[in-house]
Amino acid sequence: MKRVLEGSHAVAEAVRLAKVQVISAYPITPQTHIVEILSQYCTNGTMKAKFLRVESEHSCMAALIGAQSVGVRTFTATSGQGLALMHELLHWAAGARLPIVMAEVNRALAPGWNIWVDQTDSLAQRDTGWIQMYCEDGQEVLDSTIQAFLLAETVNLPVMIVLDAFYLSHTYEPVDVPEPEEVDRFLPPFAPKFQLDTAQPCAFGSLVGPGDYMDMRYQIALAMDDALIRFGDVEDAFAALFNRRYGPVEAIDCADAEIIFITSGTVTSTCRLALQELRAQGEKAGILKIKLFRPFPVDRIRKELQAAKKIAVIDRNFSFGASGIFAQELRAALCNTPRHPVVFGYVAGIGGRDVTPELLKEIYWLTKNSEVPQKESIWMGIQEVKYAD
Amino acid sequence: MIMNKYVNPDNLYIARSYLTTESNKTGSWRFLRPCYDEKTAPCSIACPAGEDIPRIEMMATQGLFKEAWEKILIENPFPSVCGRVCFHPCEGSCNRRDFDSAVAIHSLERFIADTAIRYGISPELEKKPSRKQRIAIVGAGTAGLAAAWFLSLLGYSCDVFEASSEVGGVLRWGIPLYRLPLSALRHDIKQITELGVAIFTGKKVSKEMLSELKKKYDAVFIGCGHSLGMPLSVPGENLSGVSEGLEFLRQIRDGKSPVCSGVTAIIGGGNTAVDVARSVVRLGGKALLLYRRRRQDMPALALEVEMALEEGVELEELVAPAVISEENGKILLTLQEMKVEGEECGRDRVIAATGKNRQVRVERILKAIGMQASESWQQADRTDNEILTLSHSVLDSRGREAVMVLGGDIVNKTKSVVDAVASGKQAALALDILFQEGIEAVVPKLQACLVGPGSSLSMEIFMGGERRLRNKHVVSYEEINTDYFRFSPRVTQPRLLKEERIQSFEEIDLKISAHMAMKEAERCFNCGLCNQCDNCFIFCPDTSVILGRDHQGRHINYDYCKGCGLCVVECPRNAMSLGEEKS
Amino acid sequence: MPTDVLDRELVHSGHVGCPGCGATIAMRFVLKALGEKTIMVLPACCWSVIAGPYPQSALKIPVLHAAFETGGATATGVRAALDMKGDTETTVLTWAGDGGTFDIGFQSLSGAVERDENFIYVCYDNEAYMNTGVQRSSSTPYGAWTTTTTGKDWKKLRKKNIVEALVAHRIPYAATASIAFPEDLLRKAQKAKNMKGSRFLHIYASCPTGWRIPSEMSIKIARMAVQTNIFPLYEVEEGLRYTINYRPKEYLVREYFRLQGRFKHLTEKDLDQIQQMVNEDWELLLRKAGEHV
Repeated sequence: MKRVLEGSHAVAEAVRLAKVQVISAYPITPQTHIVEILSQYCTNGTMKAKFLRVESEHSCMAALIGAQSVGVRTFTATSGQGLALMHELLHWAAGARLPIVMAEVNRALAPGWNIWVDQTDSLAQRDTGWIQMYCEDGQEVLDSTIQAFLLAETVNLPVMIVLDAFYLSHTYEPVDVPEPEEVDRFLPPFAPKFQLDTAQPCAFGSLVGPGDYMDMRYQIALAMDDALIRFGDVEDAFAALFNRRYGPVEAIDCADAEIIFITSGTVTSTCRLALQELRAQGEKAGILKIKLFRPFPVDRIRKELQAAKKIAVIDRNFSFGASGIFAQELRAALCNTPRHPVVFGYVAGIGGRDVTPELLKEIYWLTKNSEVPQKESIWMGIQEVKYAD
Repeated sequence: MIMNKYVNPDNLYIARSYLTTESNKTGSWRFLRPCYDEKTAPCSIACPAGEDIPRIEMMATQGLFKEAWEKILIENPFPSVCGRVCFHPCEGSCNRRDFDSAVAIHSLERFIADTAIRYGISPELEKKPSRKQRIAIVGAGTAGLAAAWFLSLLGYSCDVFEASSEVGGVLRWGIPLYRLPLSALRHDIKQITELGVAIFTGKKVSKEMLSELKKKYDAVFIGCGHSLGMPLSVPGENLSGVSEGLEFLRQIRDGKSPVCSGVTAIIGGGNTAVDVARSVVRLGGKALLLYRRRRQDMPALALEVEMALEEGVELEELVAPAVISEENGKILLTLQEMKVEGEECGRDRVIAATGKNRQVRVERILKAIGMQASESWQQADRTDNEILTLSHSVLDSRGREAVMVLGGDIVNKTKSVVDAVASGKQAALALDILFQEGIEAVVPKLQACLVGPGSSLSMEIFMGGERRLRNKHVVSYEEINTDYFRFSPRVTQPRLLKEERIQSFEEIDLKISAHMAMKEAERCFNCGLCNQCDNCFIFCPDTSVILGRDHQGRHINYDYCKGCGLCVVECPRNAMSLGEEKS
Repeated sequence: MPTDVLDRELVHSGHVGCPGCGATIAMRFVLKALGEKTIMVLPACCWSVIAGPYPQSALKIPVLHAAFETGGATATGVRAALDMKGDTETTVLTWAGDGGTFDIGFQSLSGAVERDENFIYVCYDNEAYMNTGVQRSSSTPYGAWTTTTTGKDWKKLRKKNIVEALVAHRIPYAATASIAFPEDLLRKAQKAKNMKGSRFLHIYASCPTGWRIPSEMSIKIARMAVQTNIFPLYEVEEGLRYTINYRPKEYLVREYFRLQGRFKHLTEKDLDQIQQMVNEDWELLLRKAGEHV
């Protein structure tokens, strides 16, 4: 059934359809709309789930680690500072191989206080062992969230569904919300591979010596590799039922493109508009939208970019002292290929600044008119700052 | 060791346990080794009969009165008597004295014996198979009867020859009924006769008869006691108004009421003196107790003295008879005043205060200054090296005739009931060793049966009972973990009122209830003994005290015990020890 | 105490607790009372190590090791999941040290108790960060040496009164207990087991290693803490009804301090001051219990 939903509500509907059993959340703008709805669903019986109104994001993730260890399906949502506070437990959830699903609304980190979109919060968690999917619109959010449970439970790794603050979380769009029976056919009830059970008492997460620890970590690395394959299986199964598919990356007009935008999140939609205009002008431009950031689909990226001369990576994030994080990842993915495009890194839209088609076209021309990048990262739209003496 | 067989660790390689920690033998950390180590209680070594007092009180606490009674009987056939008249040195060394007050051990002993009487219980004691040797016992006093008791338990048949019409010796004839009722005495004696001891009363053994006995029997135990009064050695002591206190008591115990009008002077400070004085009061007379030292020096039990004074007995301290004369049908007693000067034998020495004399007029004088053997053959020759002189008996196995054993008051330094029991026991054990292993084995074997480092013998140890395993170390107060004990007042012995007491020879000390007895028994620290309190198990941080697999009720699993020592320190009664680990 | 409770054993031998470890004794007692239908949440503390390295476990119940500061929250999740599975019988137990309770885990505990999460939280208190090598915590008592309060910088601040902090939450049940008083401890643990909502046990657990006492003294010291009123045994129901469970013998605190290496620098004057502080706290407790001072 088509409904007009906020991105946040699309997440909530997906969680409802996934029959999550324990939800835990702590309020933070702009994530609150997700859990407000879920709280109501738990209260009014729409969902048969426990809603834990914990006292911090840290406790929120801790509670989910506890619940998931007992063998139930769990969910939370957070944003910005909240995710940063969770950091320790993100490692814990992945290390414990718990298939927790979380919606993360990208929000800039303080100080100063800023509630608007910025990907640095989630990208700073890239090494925690969580699968990360960056979504472009409400439908993708809903679909990806449902898929996330199946993927997480298959590979025993937690999944983060990432959506842009306001541009996606608070934007109403028509979304096809599937019927529960249809989702049930796609997503069977959670069958844990291990759980806390008084009939079979085991200790989980105890002291592990160097002899076992490294091997266990290797297993997580393997599981991440596996997740790349399983992601495809999950999408196949989903497409068979719902006729929608997103891919780990989406290549738009890349086949003959000389300059390819690398985008993620809602910037992709804006970029599609810019692309139309550029193509209308006869420019050989393309877009490679990256949805799956962890595991990073390196092979697909190399393949899609093999013919391009230059790529323009749009980073709504920054790793201070290095560069935009997507740019880093792209450079890393490409450097060992014999022939690869020149990587231009652009930082744009930080802290909720608008990324307009005009800005993207400016990036295109900057890229086209330079043989090589002037800088590793080009910050777009920076004003001169006058310092007081 | 594998805790959970359902878990397949290869399924998902995560930090999920599938083994217990039991593969870590943490016992290798240990440098101190705890062990169960029962020790010796100070009361039990103070008891000349070597009674296992801490065990007896433990049984009483648990309501195991029959077992407690049997535990006494194995060391002492006279619980009913000793519960009443023993001077209970046990209580004097009770560790509880340093905490609040000593356990009323004698009251409990009496209670346990009374309970056996009340329910008509028969003891079930281990008896050794019959031996061929037969033993004659001269004198059915405490020592003779005790010897018969222990010899019977050791499988010997005994014949006892008693001069008087009834058995019991001093117990029967010398202790007033208000202290020891006849039923109490007879009950103890009944246990002895029921063991198969034959007693012949009215059979006074003369020197000639002794020769007969020596031929017919393999051993003769002489425990005829002292029946001849010691002389005062002052002028006039043979006057008709001067007689023996013990004889006075005997008349009363024979059902007579000797005349006691006027003032009767009693000379002495022992229990007999006090018994005589109090009997005089009961017969309507006035008793004047004369003692050459002070009240605190009196060998009589302090409580007896106190009650005597309450009952109206008058006590004069530091006076000694100097001259006895007759004056107008009365006795004129000249007293030498004494004074304290210096020390001797650990107590203050008294000497005559020269020039200080005074006189008292009394109706009669009763001597209670001690007794001696009536015939020379009843005395031990301690000078003969070939005669084996032990602490409570003398063995003479020279010649081809029967072994001669002297015991009881004729050899004992302390002339008490319980020392007489000790004597009978020592004689019995010595004879058994002598018959089975020869004279040389006697001393070392007896040595092995001593209670702790003391001089009391234990029949239980001799018979190979569990008590033999006990460490000889005597538990001191500091070794008791008093945190596990609450202050609790010593049982107040219910007694007849003073006014009731002087009316008759009714027993003064009344019975205590089972409830009171158990409460009192609970006060016992049970020094050195395990009462299965389980503190060791409860407090073990290493789950290394394993319940219920051997006689102790638990054992230490040295595979895991780290030797922290908690079990030893938290043992309330010092029934465990911590030793160095030998690698 | 029924013997089946006393005799049941849910702690395996072979764990790596120090000789005389009070925390291990506390664990044995509590698990005897709670039984095998218990799931344990174990935030970082000495017991994280004692419980055994992978692939071993020293406990016969399921254990979920958890991050240091998450004792209350992780248990919240475990309880919620059990409830969702229809398992209301299993007891959820958080087992934390004083650091994980008084300090880093206090928020998580406070949150869980405010929500009245249906679980038992046990803090075994050894009065410092022992697992990391004896650093001071807010549970370290006035006067104590630790490796972060050395020399003349011994701790000159009071121990946080954690039970009162929880009582302020109107927690259904909060109680102190001591390893030296097993009957009282087992009774409280069983009482807690039979209640609903948040329940808190503050268990005094001596640490021979950190307190510089001989291993065989750990029970004796624990007992003295109670006897001197330093650690009174009491329970509070619904944050209102106080019951004092043990009438101390009113021993002087001096005796308790003198036996422990961590207090050896204290002067007579310091001890007098500490005695005053202890008296003050005790009088306050008596007043709360409605008893005459």
